[in-house]
Amino acid sequence: MKKNPYKVLGVKEGASYDEIKKAYRELVKKYHPDRYRNNPLADLAEEKMREINEAYEYLMKNAGGAYQYQSESYDYDNGSASQGSSYRTQYQSQQSAQYQARQEYADEFELERQVRAHINAGNLNEAQRILDRMRVRNATWYYLQGLIFLRRGWYDRGYSNIQRAVNMDPTNYEYRNMLNSLNNQYYGYRQNPYYRNVYRTDYDMCQICGTLWCMDSCCECMGGDFIRCC
Amino acid sequence: MFGYVEPDKPELKIRDFELFRGYYCGVCKSMGKRYGQLSRFSLTYDLAFLAVLLDSTNNENYNVKIERCIAHPIRKKRCVVRDNRFVDYAADMNIILAYYNLKDKWSDEKNPLGAIGAAGLRRAFRKAAKRHRDKADKIKSLLDELFRLEKEKCASIDEAAEPFANIMREVFQCPYVEGENKLKVLGWLGYNIGKWIYILDAWDDMEKDIRKGSYNAILAQFQYDGGSLDEFKARIKERLNFSLTYSLSECEKAYALLGSVKSTGVLDNIFYSGFIVKTDKVLQGRCRKNEKESV
Repeated sequence: MKKNPYKVLGVKEGASYDEIKKAYRELVKKYHPDRYRNNPLADLAEEKMREINEAYEYLMKNAGGAYQYQSESYDYDNGSASQGSSYRTQYQSQQSAQYQARQEYADEFELERQVRAHINAGNLNEAQRILDRMRVRNATWYYLQGLIFLRRGWYDRGYSNIQRAVNMDPTNYEYRNMLNSLNNQYYGYRQNPYYRNVYRTDYDMCQICGTLWCMDSCCECMGGDFIRCC
Repeated sequence: MFGYVEPDKPELKIRDFELFRGYYCGVCKSMGKRYGQLSRFSLTYDLAFLAVLLDSTNNENYNVKIERCIAHPIRKKRCVVRDNRFVDYAADMNIILAYYNLKDKWSDEKNPLGAIGAAGLRRAFRKAAKRHRDKADKIKSLLDELFRLEKEKCASIDEAAEPFANIMREVFQCPYVEGENKLKVLGWLGYNIGKWIYILDAWDDMEKDIRKGSYNAILAQFQYDGGSLDEFKARIKERLNFSLTYSLSECEKAYALLGSVKSTGVLDNIFYSGFIVKTDKVLQGRCRKNEKESV
């Protein structure tokens, strides 16, 4: 273990089981591979995720939270450990399913496979070159073009290409999934807890008058007066 | 083109605001000390943010001094972050960017203020460019690319924004930051902020560009036909909102991976709230250029 697991999870030493679990959940949300799909920093996020999982499993096995939680945490231990790994197995199975799907395509469309491989490896120029050579401009073509644009950071074009792929082939799960994921990232960022917690509604005249009237009435109830004339 | 990055002030703790202002004053004073008092007029918020962000990657203590400011003689003394290599770096980059910006104003719009400003900054620029030779060269060649695209009336905001985004990538990849991964993260962060600034600026300038008949990437891509600007804006707003917000979400993801160890109060505020507030303000047209006040 290179780093202090408590530090990795951002909790105090001797934190309770619940605190650790909560912190872990937050971090999983933050660094989840789905969020970093099609992002040049995906490998770093994956590494971070591994670190977090290791720290979590270590703490669950060894420390098990604060002292008084020990007996309890033992029970939880198995459950939580399997939960921690379930995040990963789920992700892995997802990946392998995608991979298998890719394999099937491979026999039919060698070029498409190459493009995908180049995109995954980050060789965008090479991917673009092969894509330009492809003659058929079908839904797949637009989808791949969209992926390349997104990876480059050309979001406007990326989005319209993916959208076009979905319009051309509405039944394709992968394209729709990508489009949904783009929209989710958009809403997800705008709805982040920091921003959402803030009291952002503007006061209008009605609200101000209403408040003043209420205050005056309350004062009068108590024998005082806030606004003399009424 | 600058001044869009700022914290969401009402949500900021006073302590964090003081810290941000400390960096702002730090960059300003660093410029004054090393490049002459005149250069201090070119300071923008964005570079103060850069100083905070870069400095947050290491664990060194803040070196804060309480000083007076020559620009505000009657105000009380304030905190200033002093003798910090990241603050100095932000000051250098501010000089380089401001000089090119002013020069562009002169050659592009024939604005005499641009010529005067550029002349005033020339010596400072030479000094800063000498310190960061390769950065200055790269920025120069990217700017040439930007002008070329503008001359060709490039009809895609993605393509038109690319050179500026890459300039920001260069600026954010500060050579004093240690670690390959951190530089990679900073590069992607800078790229997306640059993208965001470029599109936001194009939106802000639409009215002016229509009046003057000059190039604007948004007008070019969505083929503005001379009708009502409000209708035009309403038609394309959602689409641009997506690009802007998506760039910001990529910035936020990069920030999550940067692992800042200090100043997280003000940085969280900017990344999770300040950016969104600014985007909405500009998209709704509530932010004119003159609203960009200084601290």
